[in-house]
Amino acid sequence: MTVWRLVIGRVFTALLTLWLVSIIVFAAVEVLPGDVAGRILGRNATPESLAALRLKLNLDAPAIERYWDWFRGVLQGDFGSALTSKRPVSQILADRVVNTLILSGAAFLLYIPLALIPALIQAVRRDRPVDHGLSIVTLLLLSTPDFLLATFLLITFVIFIPVFPAVSVVTAASTLFQWMSALALPAVTLAVVMAVYAVRMLRDNLIEVLDSDYIRMAELKGMSARRVLLRHALPNSLIPTLNITALNLGYLIGGVVIIERVFAFPGFGGLLVDSVQVLDIPMIEATVLLSAVVYIIANLFADVGAILLNPRLRKG
Amino acid sequence: MNLAHWFSLWRLSPQSLKIGSVILLFWLLVAVVGAVWTPYGYSQLGAGLPLSGVSWDHPFGIDQLGRDVLSRVLYGAHIVILLALAGTSLGVVVGALIGLVTAYIGGWLDEVVQRFAEAFISIPFLVLALLVIALAGPDLSGDPILIVIVVAFVYTPRIARMARAAALDIITRDFVTIAKLRGESAWSVVWRELLPNTTGTLLVEFSLRAGYAPALVGSLGFLGFGIKPPIPEWGLMISENRALILAQPITVIGPGMALASLIVGLNMFTEGLARILGRTVRLGEQ
Repeated sequence: MTVWRLVIGRVFTALLTLWLVSIIVFAAVEVLPGDVAGRILGRNATPESLAALRLKLNLDAPAIERYWDWFRGVLQGDFGSALTSKRPVSQILADRVVNTLILSGAAFLLYIPLALIPALIQAVRRDRPVDHGLSIVTLLLLSTPDFLLATFLLITFVIFIPVFPAVSVVTAASTLFQWMSALALPAVTLAVVMAVYAVRMLRDNLIEVLDSDYIRMAELKGMSARRVLLRHALPNSLIPTLNITALNLGYLIGGVVIIERVFAFPGFGGLLVDSVQVLDIPMIEATVLLSAVVYIIANLFADVGAILLNPRLRKG
Repeated sequence: MNLAHWFSLWRLSPQSLKIGSVILLFWLLVAVVGAVWTPYGYSQLGAGLPLSGVSWDHPFGIDQLGRDVLSRVLYGAHIVILLALAGTSLGVVVGALIGLVTAYIGGWLDEVVQRFAEAFISIPFLVLALLVIALAGPDLSGDPILIVIVVAFVYTPRIARMARAAALDIITRDFVTIAKLRGESAWSVVWRELLPNTTGTLLVEFSLRAGYAPALVGSLGFLGFGIKPPIPEWGLMISENRALILAQPITVIGPGMALASLIVGLNMFTEGLARILGRTVRLGEQ
């Protein structure tokens, strides 16, 4: 079966990319000039603290040996222990990753209607004022950086229409309502950023499909406009959007870094920023690797999905 | 070209290109003027009563330290624009070079470079930028050169992939084969055949990337990894004045609108440019 060969090839490429990312992340620390320990400690370095840190990071062993030890650990879910808190990295990550997954899930659920509804309206009312209006709105939103959009939403909803808390404080003891209100603004921000990117693409795809012969045929058969749009046009415009959605998931992982900071949401992105601030190398390595894993898996699913959904590729 | 020629060119260009150009010209003018003259000094304390709000003298209000926010926005324009353009240019030059040369040489080198580019692309934008900043260490933190390198570094693999794809399309054409048969060197083929024929793609790519660069520079400033105070980089200002949004939302809205409008201009320009050159472009691509 050609299609399975394509799928297996794609999985293999994803694994290769993942392995290269692990090399990049590890090597990045090595190739820069100067001593790692010296760079972490900066101007505060003393000979004693340097020696202690070198011992801790096992810097006297050859790089390849250290990479192999680290990589073997990573495969077993062991990222070493954090420099600052001395707890295992995986333990610190676990709670934060769960929080971020909840946030991303909420954002993704909002993203689907936010992308679909405006695109459908624009495609049906093509070149009418509604279409132009929505195009301007998406262009403006597209041009607003995520941290700025988050800040504007914060100003609007916390100051002018005070319903949501400015800072998302959630703990294991928080009630469902507290979770919902803490998630609302960060999830809306992420969803809007992802949706505007998809809307423009989906609108153009829909219009292209609506102009095709089989749609004309379905219309001439006397099928209802609604059925033509939702059963015939939409599914065919979704395949290119799958790719966009994968790119959006990749964005989501980078986006949480800044959005969590804006709303003080205790997630994985905030952890990355904190680790960069104190140069906690094992934490940085783990968080960067993890974000690449998410991106690679999202793209893998999109590509495999496109292969399986496309009858032309299926026949091969 | 004479004036009439320029005028007819302008009349025929798409609406988005016109609006985009006007916005960009406005910001370039502001950048030039703001670099040499602002109503108050960008770091002048006591320009007005701290947090005294909007007035004719201070349309964007006064920040916590008593600095005039409008003056800071005007002075910051050339910093944001220079950082964004320098970073994007470096990224496009290095990326195009890598993409075109590896596409022409092909073989295992092409394969290896392509795989590594793919691996770099799979690390999300901001995460990759933060990784580079972390590795540069605390001594270089806040250095404008580091910011430029970070922007360029993040863009290089993406540009390289784009340039490679465009070049592969050209390499199979007859005029490249003829150039090879004439005995032109690899460098000469890349420089004289591939580059001129991929200029359109690279221009649109440059414009697209330049549109996101101010957001990236702003994000780094916002997180505290960009330009250091008191230099008024817009992202940094938004972050500094965020403590005031309850009392003085204008001190955040001012620099925020400046940043958003600059990016709107760049995006509209990109869309128009892509239309003229007959290319499709996905605005907002990261």
